[in-house]
Amino acid sequence: MRVLCVAEKPSIAKAVAQHLSGGRSQTHNSRNKYIKNYVFDYDFGQEWGNCTVTMTSVLGHITELVFPSEYKDWRHPPPERLFDAPVNTVISEDKTDIANNIEQQARYAQALCIWTDCDREGEHIGHEICEAAKKGNNRLQIKRAKFSNIERAHILNAARNLIMLDDKQVNAVSARIELDLRIGFAFTRFLSNNLKPLGGPLANLVLSYGSCQFPTLGFVVDRYFRVKNFRPEPFWSIKVMHRRDGIDVNFTWSRHRLFDRASVIVLYERCLLAKMAHVTKVQEKPTKKWRPLPLTTVEMQKMATRFLRMSGQQAMEAAEKLYNKGFISYPRTETDRFDIGMNLRDLVQKQAVDNRWGQFAQGLVDGGFQQPRQGRHDDKAHPPIHPIINATSSVLDNDYERRVYEFVVRRFLACCSEDAKGMATDIDILYGEELFHAHGVIVLERNYLDVYVYEKWTGTAILPKFSMGERFEPFEAHITEGKTVAPSYLTEADLISLMDANGIGTDATMAEHIQKIQDREYVATVPRTRRQGVEEEEFDEQSPAQGGRGGRGNRGASRGRVGAVVSRARGGGGVMEFIPTRLGVALIEGFDRMNFETSLGKPFLRKEMELKMKAVCEGRTSRQVVLNESIDQYRQVYFQSQEKLNVLKAACREYIFQNNGG
Amino acid sequence: MNRLSKAAEVQNGLHSQGLPSPTLAWIQNALPNRDPLPPLLALIATVKARLMAADITNAVLDSSAPSFPANIANPEVKETKLERDVLVQVLDIDNLTKSKWEQVEELEAIARGEQTTGREMIRLPTNGEEEEELGYGSLATQNLSTARPGGRGGAAGSGTPKNSTHRLVLQDCKGNKVYGLELKRIDKIGIGTLNIGEKIIVKKGAIVARGVLLLEPSTCVIMGGKIDAWQKAWFDGRLTRLKETVGADIRG
Repeated sequence: MRVLCVAEKPSIAKAVAQHLSGGRSQTHNSRNKYIKNYVFDYDFGQEWGNCTVTMTSVLGHITELVFPSEYKDWRHPPPERLFDAPVNTVISEDKTDIANNIEQQARYAQALCIWTDCDREGEHIGHEICEAAKKGNNRLQIKRAKFSNIERAHILNAARNLIMLDDKQVNAVSARIELDLRIGFAFTRFLSNNLKPLGGPLANLVLSYGSCQFPTLGFVVDRYFRVKNFRPEPFWSIKVMHRRDGIDVNFTWSRHRLFDRASVIVLYERCLLAKMAHVTKVQEKPTKKWRPLPLTTVEMQKMATRFLRMSGQQAMEAAEKLYNKGFISYPRTETDRFDIGMNLRDLVQKQAVDNRWGQFAQGLVDGGFQQPRQGRHDDKAHPPIHPIINATSSVLDNDYERRVYEFVVRRFLACCSEDAKGMATDIDILYGEELFHAHGVIVLERNYLDVYVYEKWTGTAILPKFSMGERFEPFEAHITEGKTVAPSYLTEADLISLMDANGIGTDATMAEHIQKIQDREYVATVPRTRRQGVEEEEFDEQSPAQGGRGGRGNRGASRGRVGAVVSRARGGGGVMEFIPTRLGVALIEGFDRMNFETSLGKPFLRKEMELKMKAVCEGRTSRQVVLNESIDQYRQVYFQSQEKLNVLKAACREYIFQNNGG
Repeated sequence: MNRLSKAAEVQNGLHSQGLPSPTLAWIQNALPNRDPLPPLLALIATVKARLMAADITNAVLDSSAPSFPANIANPEVKETKLERDVLVQVLDIDNLTKSKWEQVEELEAIARGEQTTGREMIRLPTNGEEEEELGYGSLATQNLSTARPGGRGGAAGSGTPKNSTHRLVLQDCKGNKVYGLELKRIDKIGIGTLNIGEKIIVKKGAIVARGVLLLEPSTCVIMGGKIDAWQKAWFDGRLTRLKETVGADIRG
């Protein structure tokens, strides 16, 4: 029997051929310079038995969806016709030789085995391959290999346990492709036709619309206005300090701060009147700083933008290459829990040879190993991102790959080690009617922190002894004054978090959307500047920025005030902030001011669409239903936008031409 | 005749509930126009509800009803205590824990039909029912996420966090006004939970410091009620007042 195997990219085809053939395969060139056909024998076991295998690959998608040529003109037929114009699936022009190769190879084969990446896109590419192969031979048996990394045993196991292509995922992707095409084209033409004539800078720009791009831009504009409109306000607090055993113990006020000076003075005076403070709680207890969760794509991108001096897009590209070379597992995953059956010790062992973290890894192998924490997400397709084999930095191609690889390994080793441990002391005092609190931490065991250099945990001074019920006269108590400061502009990590929380894009595509709004000159990035003279940075507990700001130490801070000292040190370090351009502001403001229920600048419509895709994958709805519903929604928005076009134009005049009269 | 004697009975009834006595004339006016009148207990409840909804400065209470001492708002006085229980009505409420601007942003988000829980932007239901609690999305990082399964952090229930401090403007039956500062947290006090015009009895022994009445659960009995017109005006004008205070452009 002859089997045709097709992978999503050449590197995977090569690696799989290598494993299956045991290194004994013949290599033939195809018409495409990147695509090779590897021929060898392999025993698929009970399924197909001993076979002659041709292993080849595609380069991602080979087909695309297009409108017929009569829709080429941007004005006629009018863009709204694109919502229900016919569409055709065609082989992309630059992929015809790849499709031909598959068609030809299929002629000699009785079976086809798909080796595309195991995610939604991969499933659809698998479908495209099937269609191309069927043109050569429509009696093929079709199977699919399920794998998430290209380590040898894993690949051999996948080859012996073939499954079927999942039509539901194929349908979900095909719905997404069609929606993106119709909606993207219709609104892009709408924007260009109507706004370019305004002239000035608009005449020469690409004014594209994408259902993910716009909400992403919306987040940036939203934050921009929050920064711009912000009004600082003074606040007051009471600080109590007591010196004992040569240590200054600072107590913070349980009210934290009040936005009224007179009230603070009244409360302060009552503290002074009481004279003595009364210790109401003394507690010493072990505390920990938790090791990180297993690594997901979104988390990797966020960390990369914070600590690895690269954008999410660059991190994804580097990770993709590392995966293609077999150094790390599949980098597109939502899973933050390792399957209990996975042999993680083995993977740790492989890192023991490294001269940077080898010793740490050996320590884990010798008994320090801990089963990683289990997160709550499981995409049922891929494990968390982890290293497969050790790679010395000399075998990696560039600095991006080195940094990402190092991060993946350190993260993985951190997951497999113990939490950092410390001792926390809490002292509460009642001073007059007011409660004050002091907190101290001593770090006892660093554990995972030794390898996970991206996090810090700094102990504070040891607190002197206080006894329960004790009365003392505080050394000093005074009123402090501060001012609220505006939130920061969004960082890429903030933006990814917002997209993630609001269902904009998938973990795999977020970075592309972020890149897109920069390419379109809707937003610009600038290095974050340190702010001066800020006494306290706590604008608003609900602020989405909180999680993303400060970076270092922030996690400790949110868990137990432990890292409070460090979390103040914000910014610097090459973190970029996103600021909308005038064009970006005009577009979002324009759509927001049109005032229909769901502006295109808000995440709601897109989120709905994303949820529908999920429903298709889970078999709860069908491709056609989703297409009809979503197209109807966007068509409605289209007509409303057309009706209120002058609002959009006015926003452009106001922000781009600085002309308020229009 | 009958109404007058009923009014007296109602007055007694209110008095025995610890409420100051409204004048007989006011009670008569507040009695339902029915003959025969409903039973006494129902009448007392009715009149009490009227009292809670009335502006007490408007010749409602008997002239003997307790009011604040004359110098209550004097900032020179370090500390004094109320000598009698005083019925007051709420004129204004301010959450001193939140900046004005933070409150402005919240109000504007709600006006846009949005709210956030954590990082997620939520569309509010359009039918006007606000079951959505004000989600104080905790600043969860991945570390915390296992600790808060619902994905929602912070203030459950009332929407006003535990360590909030409010300042009220309180008015007695003579029209004297004084600031009331939450010395210890009182659960019912919160923007949206305490009404404008709501009645409070501040108990004898309550501390007045530097002209500010200090409120704590032991000296502050919240009686309920509201004055609809005041409440509406307060809420309608809230955003504008907040913006004016911080000097923001009120048109926007």
